[in-house]
Amino acid sequence: MSPWRLAARRFARNRPAVRGAGLVVLLALAALLAPWLTADPLAQPDPVRLQDRPPSLAHPLGTDPFSRDVLSRTLHGARVSLVVGTGAALLAVTLGAGMGLVAGLAGRRTDQLLMRGVDVAMALPRILLLLAVFAVWEDAPAAAVVVLIAATGWFQTSRIVRAAVLSLREAEFVVAARALGAPAPGIVRRHLLPHVAAPVIVSASLDVGNIILLEAGLSYLGLGVRPPTPTWGNMIMDGKDVLLTAPWVALAPGLALVVTVVAFNLAADGLRDALDPRMAA
Amino acid sequence: MVIATTGDADVLLPPVTALETGINVSDLLFCRLAELKLGLNTVDDSGFRPVLARSWDHPDSLTIVFHLDPRAHWQDGTPVTAADVAFTFRTYRDSAVNAPLAPFLAPIASVAVRDSLTVAFRFRRWYPEQLYDATYHMRILPRHLLDTIPAARLASAPFARAPVGDGPYRFVSWRAGAEISLAADTAFFLGRPGLDRLMWRVSPDLAGAVSQLLAGEADAMEVIPARGQLERVQQSRDVRLVPYPSPFYAAVVFNLRRPPFADRDVRRAIAMAVDRQTVVRSVFGPFADLAVGAVSPMQAIWSDSIRQLPYDTAAAARLLDQRGWRRGAAGGMRARGGTPLQFDLLVPTSSQSRQQAAVILQDELRRLGVDVRIRPVEFTVMERRTVTGDFDAAIVSRTTDPSPASLLQWWSPGAGANIGGYADGTFESLTAAALRARTRADAAPRWRRALERLNDEAPAVFLFSPRNEAAVSTRIADVTIRPDAWLATVTGWHVREPPRAASDRGAPGP
Amino acid sequence: MLGFVARRLGFAVVSVAAVVLVTFVLAHAAPGAPMLGAPERTFASPETIARQRALFGLDRPLPEQLLRYAANLARGQLGESFVLHRPVAAVLAEAVPNTLLLGGVALLASLLLGLAVGAAQAARHHSRTDTALGVATLVLYSVPVFWLGLVLLLVFGEQLHWLPVSGMTSALHDTLSPAGRVLDVARHLVLPAASLALVQAAAFARFQRSALVDTLGATHIRSARARGLPERAVLLRHALRGALAPTITLAGLSVPYFLSGSVLVESIFGWPGLGRVTYDAIFARDYNVITAVALVAGVLVALGNLLADVAVAVADPRVRLDR
Repeated sequence: MSPWRLAARRFARNRPAVRGAGLVVLLALAALLAPWLTADPLAQPDPVRLQDRPPSLAHPLGTDPFSRDVLSRTLHGARVSLVVGTGAALLAVTLGAGMGLVAGLAGRRTDQLLMRGVDVAMALPRILLLLAVFAVWEDAPAAAVVVLIAATGWFQTSRIVRAAVLSLREAEFVVAARALGAPAPGIVRRHLLPHVAAPVIVSASLDVGNIILLEAGLSYLGLGVRPPTPTWGNMIMDGKDVLLTAPWVALAPGLALVVTVVAFNLAADGLRDALDPRMAA
Repeated sequence: MVIATTGDADVLLPPVTALETGINVSDLLFCRLAELKLGLNTVDDSGFRPVLARSWDHPDSLTIVFHLDPRAHWQDGTPVTAADVAFTFRTYRDSAVNAPLAPFLAPIASVAVRDSLTVAFRFRRWYPEQLYDATYHMRILPRHLLDTIPAARLASAPFARAPVGDGPYRFVSWRAGAEISLAADTAFFLGRPGLDRLMWRVSPDLAGAVSQLLAGEADAMEVIPARGQLERVQQSRDVRLVPYPSPFYAAVVFNLRRPPFADRDVRRAIAMAVDRQTVVRSVFGPFADLAVGAVSPMQAIWSDSIRQLPYDTAAAARLLDQRGWRRGAAGGMRARGGTPLQFDLLVPTSSQSRQQAAVILQDELRRLGVDVRIRPVEFTVMERRTVTGDFDAAIVSRTTDPSPASLLQWWSPGAGANIGGYADGTFESLTAAALRARTRADAAPRWRRALERLNDEAPAVFLFSPRNEAAVSTRIADVTIRPDAWLATVTGWHVREPPRAASDRGAPGP
Repeated sequence: MLGFVARRLGFAVVSVAAVVLVTFVLAHAAPGAPMLGAPERTFASPETIARQRALFGLDRPLPEQLLRYAANLARGQLGESFVLHRPVAAVLAEAVPNTLLLGGVALLASLLLGLAVGAAQAARHHSRTDTALGVATLVLYSVPVFWLGLVLLLVFGEQLHWLPVSGMTSALHDTLSPAGRVLDVARHLVLPAASLALVQAAAFARFQRSALVDTLGATHIRSARARGLPERAVLLRHALRGALAPTITLAGLSVPYFLSGSVLVESIFGWPGLGRVTYDAIFARDYNVITAVALVAGVLVALGNLLADVAVAVADPRVRLDR
């Protein structure tokens, strides 16, 4: 049986991991269907009388200081978190893998240069750069948040991939394949990628949770995707001043964050256990 | 008494200080020549009480001569002299110091020392508020401690962070970002202050500052701006709310250089379509007043009988129809010759209440057929855009001086803060007439006519004045608040019961 | 080994220089100008503002400003804060120790707690305790640190009134005895440090558990067990020793987390540290402060990485040869 099939089996037997993955799928569905499931998150049907209302039939999670429905905003906030989380993680590993491949396959001098660059880049304090950029960018679209978070977080992946490529270069079957005249892209595809895929997948899946929390922190400070577009971070920001009188405004997005990140982490742990290095042989 | 504040001070030097806490603290360290009484009458001499100047007279229409009180002294023992006053005037006007208040001193041509306790102010022309301008803007600085410091280095000199003043309180310590401590000057020439010690504690988060107050870690706060926090304080038995007229008003200012706002009728229509009463009630509840014009409740000329545009959506609709802004086929948004009637409304993200007001405004104007797009922007960005005229409309908050003449800062053509570009000859002549009035009784109706003119011309929709509610612990008694500076009369406050906390007793001192 | 450290130091210096350059350009390229006072409170005419910009050299072209900054930096001068009218060095000198205190205590607490929990889990591998702790660490690891701070503030500060709500010291601080003062700061430290530490402890625990589970299976551990040593001794003596180097690595690599966490936590709890200064400076466009903070953050992160790399190199000699 192929190593991938084995890994899938292992994953399926890991109950918490399956639950986590299931939850992720559920969240993704809810986020996708949000516009059809709930009211407009920006709607303020009655700005006068609907401020800070506690949960009721009409508004299951209550309303916020701007008279908007909290449930609807929470669901729509999931869209931003999920898009940014998965998008940035995917983009980051793509960038990192690409860079790692290039460094690993290139000549010694290019490799040295690139890795020095990565070392320097790794020292850049991520939060400060993101703060500085988003503080001045008045209304960054989610795409910008994705790109910038990815651009500041691909370094570890490049190192992993480069190490894997370097170790494989000298492996017998690769040397043999090249001696036989097989084209380089073929070698990359057939031999390198599967070897590298496992750690990269694990790294990406573990990253998603952290990126979701990072984006939440940025929007809590009022940066990145700005109000009135709902994000869980800026909902907590709105709810912070009424924490004692209307706790649901900050509690709902906070709980949503915890649940989502837990789900991703469970799935990621499961992937890591399933794809352990023994598979790569 | 411990004061909770959300911002630290920048420096403690009157010409340069710009942040709220810095101003509050340095106000208690340095004195003026004379102070306004609680009535805030800026026109008549009777509206002022002597401080550093024991008396003054007007030998002619362009001169005021101040006679300093010989008992006034700096906290290092040196007496306050006329040389200090002259030095202060030079410093405030020095462009290297770049004092924000310097333009207000422009009407004063010179300050001359007659003898050690006599100083003469000479004005360029006669106007009734000469005494106000001579006393209100400047706090006297110690020449003997500051004249060796080059003007450009004044703000960063060590003195600015550990000042020596002549006021009722002495500087004790400043832990940056955390707290500032003052102690009563027992030898203050006008009498020892009632509270032995004042301390400002910085808590950047408003909710955190209020929590300190409610937990007894702080005794007072200048103002509680957010409704949710006000309700928290209302429920406490140890802290009471002390309302005082606020110096603010908020308004939607139109940029008259942009169509459609160049058209007076469009502006009037928009102003009439907004139910300002609803805006106030729903954003603030009972904690704000309707703005009656370009004036704040603190100013003497405020009156709720000033003529304003009525709330009349039918009339608004008719006006817009008349000017050619008609609804589309389906009764949607209005347009004229293919151009839709829409504008961007700038709102600072720092003010939740203005954002909430903007939403209600947008809703009401949509019913009129006007498409408003709300643009929440960061405060510094809004400043830049309004100052450079890069905006359609913006909700700004104005802080007024006690003097009605502050109206001119914002509505006079060519004034730096006239962001909308309002220029109106009638308004000019009305305010010029008001500025000439010799007594307050004469001035009031003239200012009123100027305000009514502004309301008619509608360069802005004047929305609300949040009620200032200070929060003070019940253990502090005899609390009076002068609206333009809440601690102006703090020397009269006392602790109600025997001091039980160490924070009341005077510190040993430096 | 020395060569390795020297090379790493070299990288660190280059990194920090890059950080400063990037931040400087970003800050100056931003829209919005330094907030010179609170404009809606005190009226400042455009002329005043223009003059202020000229006085600070802000109307010069960007490359010229950059060169001047670099020259000053070489002389050890960090410039002056526009808002506070003080040398940036003074502002940082007051703020950095407070953040180091908060971060240091949080790091220590998270290491102790995390490693202990991780070890306990590994020792009781696959037991009910292990699962329960595993759930707890997973949840804590997934909580946003600012939300945790708010919840802790609400529960322990507001509702229960056990701990102070804001600041680093109380109003009575100066009247207390030296011991009293230490206690005062300690009381104020609890909630913010707990917010930072709990999340990171969970991260350490997760790492420690998996690292120890691997080590505990290793041969020399099994032989120690076979010799009849009690489990706890096995754990302490053999397994943990092997985990020391990775621990240092973890600690070093967690510096960025503590820096970013401090920005969030310090503003919630009013802790007068670097995070607060950074936040205020960014929103007030106080360029000199922003760049100096980037410098300090860059140095701290570089040091953390250096420490981590050295620990890895000590543990695994192959790394020292470094490609």
